[in-house]
Amino acid sequence: MSLQILLIVAFGGALLTYLLGKISAKVRNFLAVAICLVLVVFVAGLYGKRIEKTFYFGFFDLGLVLRLNTLSWFFAITIPVVGALSIIFSLSYIRGRERTDFYYLMMLLVNAAMLGIVLAGDLVCFYIFWEIMSWSAFLLISYNRGPALAAGMKYIIMSVIGSVCFLVGMLSLYASFDTLNISKVASAITSASSAYILFILAAFGIAFGIKNAVLPFHTWLPDAHSEAPAPFSAILSGMLIKMGTYGFLLLLYVIMGLKLFLSLGHGLFSLHRILCLLGVVTIIIPTFIAILQTDAKRLLAWSTVGQAGYIILGIAFGTNLALAGGIFHFFNHALFKALLFLAIGAVEFRTRTRDLDSLGGLAKKMPVVFIGTLAGICALIGVPLTSGFVSKWLIYKTLILEGSPFLAFFALVGTWGTILYSYKLIHNIFLGQLPEKYKDLPKSPFSMQLPVIVLSFAILLFGILPGIPLGVINSIGTSFGFEPLNVTIWGVASETGTLNTINIFSAVLLAGVVVWVVFRLGAKSASVPQEDSYAAGTHTPADKYHYTVEFYNPLHRMIRPFLKDVIDEFYSWIASSVQRLSNSVRCVYAGDVGYYVMYIISFLAFLILVQLKFKPW
Amino acid sequence: MVTKVMQMILSPVLALVVGVFFLGLARKIMARIQWRYGPPLIQPVIDIIRLFYQKSVSHGRMFDLGIILSLAGSIVVVLFLPFGRICPLAGSGGLLVILYVMLFAPLGIALSGGQGANPNISIGISRKLILGLGYEVPLLLVLLAAMTHYKTISIVEMVSVQQNAGWSITSWPLLLSGVSYFLILPAILGIRPFDVSSAPQEISSGPMVEYGGKYLALATIEHALVLFISIALFVNLFLGGAANPIIFFVKMLVVFVLGVCVNAVFPRFRIEQAVKYLWKWPTLLAFVGLVITLAIRS
Repeated sequence: MSLQILLIVAFGGALLTYLLGKISAKVRNFLAVAICLVLVVFVAGLYGKRIEKTFYFGFFDLGLVLRLNTLSWFFAITIPVVGALSIIFSLSYIRGRERTDFYYLMMLLVNAAMLGIVLAGDLVCFYIFWEIMSWSAFLLISYNRGPALAAGMKYIIMSVIGSVCFLVGMLSLYASFDTLNISKVASAITSASSAYILFILAAFGIAFGIKNAVLPFHTWLPDAHSEAPAPFSAILSGMLIKMGTYGFLLLLYVIMGLKLFLSLGHGLFSLHRILCLLGVVTIIIPTFIAILQTDAKRLLAWSTVGQAGYIILGIAFGTNLALAGGIFHFFNHALFKALLFLAIGAVEFRTRTRDLDSLGGLAKKMPVVFIGTLAGICALIGVPLTSGFVSKWLIYKTLILEGSPFLAFFALVGTWGTILYSYKLIHNIFLGQLPEKYKDLPKSPFSMQLPVIVLSFAILLFGILPGIPLGVINSIGTSFGFEPLNVTIWGVASETGTLNTINIFSAVLLAGVVVWVVFRLGAKSASVPQEDSYAAGTHTPADKYHYTVEFYNPLHRMIRPFLKDVIDEFYSWIASSVQRLSNSVRCVYAGDVGYYVMYIISFLAFLILVQLKFKPW
Repeated sequence: MVTKVMQMILSPVLALVVGVFFLGLARKIMARIQWRYGPPLIQPVIDIIRLFYQKSVSHGRMFDLGIILSLAGSIVVVLFLPFGRICPLAGSGGLLVILYVMLFAPLGIALSGGQGANPNISIGISRKLILGLGYEVPLLLVLLAAMTHYKTISIVEMVSVQQNAGWSITSWPLLLSGVSYFLILPAILGIRPFDVSSAPQEISSGPMVEYGGKYLALATIEHALVLFISIALFVNLFLGGAANPIIFFVKMLVVFVLGVCVNAVFPRFRIEQAVKYLWKWPTLLAFVGLVITLAIRS
């Protein structure tokens, strides 16, 4: 019963927010935040419960089922948390814009739909919520109009293709097994032929791959993420694409099951090896494309594609450590990418630009946002003591010890690429000289600082005490049939190399204090204005003294020729060809009655001509 | 417990002494190769002490914190590295953690320098990170070969296996990896021909340009520790570590002097040339090494 109430609160709250918005903006804002917080508490209260309940029978004799287990709980708790923070951020971000009621409705609807997806116990339910999510996301992506419309269109076309694939797979499953309940399908599919399983995999894989932006289905993501309003970019990158991850977990480990998944194909062409390779390619190429970007949000968008590669790699590798790493990385990515998008949103809100070539020196004007971004990029890189480190450590360790050093190599090189673009992001925006025009920039509003602070804190907390989420993740792993990990509050213990974050933390803290004391003991330093820097004896120009354009110029020259997005060009070519074809069809099928009368008359004339000449009738 | 604490204090101090000694030695050897007399061996020590008493300028809080973070990071890496038998943080994550904690140093300098608001710094850091991408490719292949060969990520275990089975550089699979590591050593250290990021004549020492007084002192200490770390890693992974600190030091000395002699005679690469070189020979060697390791393992 409680799951139904949860969804009723989520969806009903969204509609109520819209209606109340017509009366009072204040009440609407309050309600929007309150609903998300209520959902957080509600889901948190469901921890550890296993529920499966059919709530409706009338749909073609298919029961619509809601279900809760550890896997769906873990996703379900992350959704409203990210949602609540984004909505709090929106309070000042979206104030004064037009169609704000609509904006809040859609934000809450996306959240509710995602909750529905992870709580769905059968594929019909899953599909309905999946569509609600896709369409409300489309409306939000194109909220800004202008270039955002094209980005939204790109997204929804790819999304519809994914949905069609999903529908095909679903109908085929129904035709074969006469049920769409996930647990029943899971027990029925073990007896199916491997060709049929491959077909199902391809159908659902395309649907989930498009959402998760796995290469070669990633092309919608950079446009959509950069054009969407910043708080929604956070949800989009933090949670929405992770519905694809959830789908993959469902498909590979719940429906197919561990044994079947690992036994499909053999040698180099085994399924999990191919998926791992796909993950690695998804890490490497987008990471290097991100280095070339000049738009802060576009850079983060490409980084999202790259990080999704780590998650896929972890899930596909199929050992308990890798799976734990993959799921943990999903969780971390939701936190730090939401944080980064919100931070960039705060910068954009004040400066009205996100062009990495024209900002600079904002650390002094927005210290909180700067620290948040710093925590975010540290987690993105995987610096120890942030949560990103632990998830990557788990993935690398298992890759190395299971004898796949080349996969580990590409994943690690991806990390160094991540350092390059992360530093570019923080350097070009927050470090260096502050341009004259930003001298009197006001502080960020508190409602923007709060989510940044909360997320930075969470990143550090789960980096120092990774055992908190790892405990839950471990029980997800065991429910899939893996050996349990030896999880402690500060890491993972095992014979082949233990991780102990408390030791690292205390060592860094101790060393830091020692160095700080030494630093304080030295002669005092004088604080100087930014213009007072060494310029080989000449005068320092006051403005535009910040080295940002083409920050990695030598590298750009080396890698740019190799990094054309061929896939995107191919899709665009298909799109434009279809458009041309449709245009030529439209010349014939013009919608003017006169034309159709002419067609009918000429056709009749043709028939008469044939009759007169050849007399066939 | 007491020995543990003793080790924790002892190992950074030892590392510092060795690193600073190497700094002085490098200047002396370079000078002798170039037919100069060179400064006395303890010149770096004198410099560091003097710098602590000199005035300096600060460009903001991150400017201070960055350099502290960087040095603290290097000290922590030292705690993870076995120096003879001394290794205070043996069982906390192994080589993978070392690899990542090593990021603190360049990241700290980069953040601190970035706040310095001087284009020379930004150019230097940009080059440093590109060079990092350059040497990281062969370095990762080398480290992965070692981890795959010994089937562990713990560096202490690798050392103890080598104590019984002989140095890994003498065994077939890891010979190529060892050579490759030696070839990229100057790039990791940022010395000629890979001193693109400091390049004194070109960009006024890059990230160091705004540092004076105690900042420069800390940066020098940091450099000494990085020197220690990269050579100690080589000795631990390929020259069998050592049973006691003295032998370990001798091994490090040999590697260091060889490295300095080779690199004292080269002019500076351009950054593209450096990356191309690093992605060519050392990578090829490391790649072949890893393939052989993998083939032998399976």
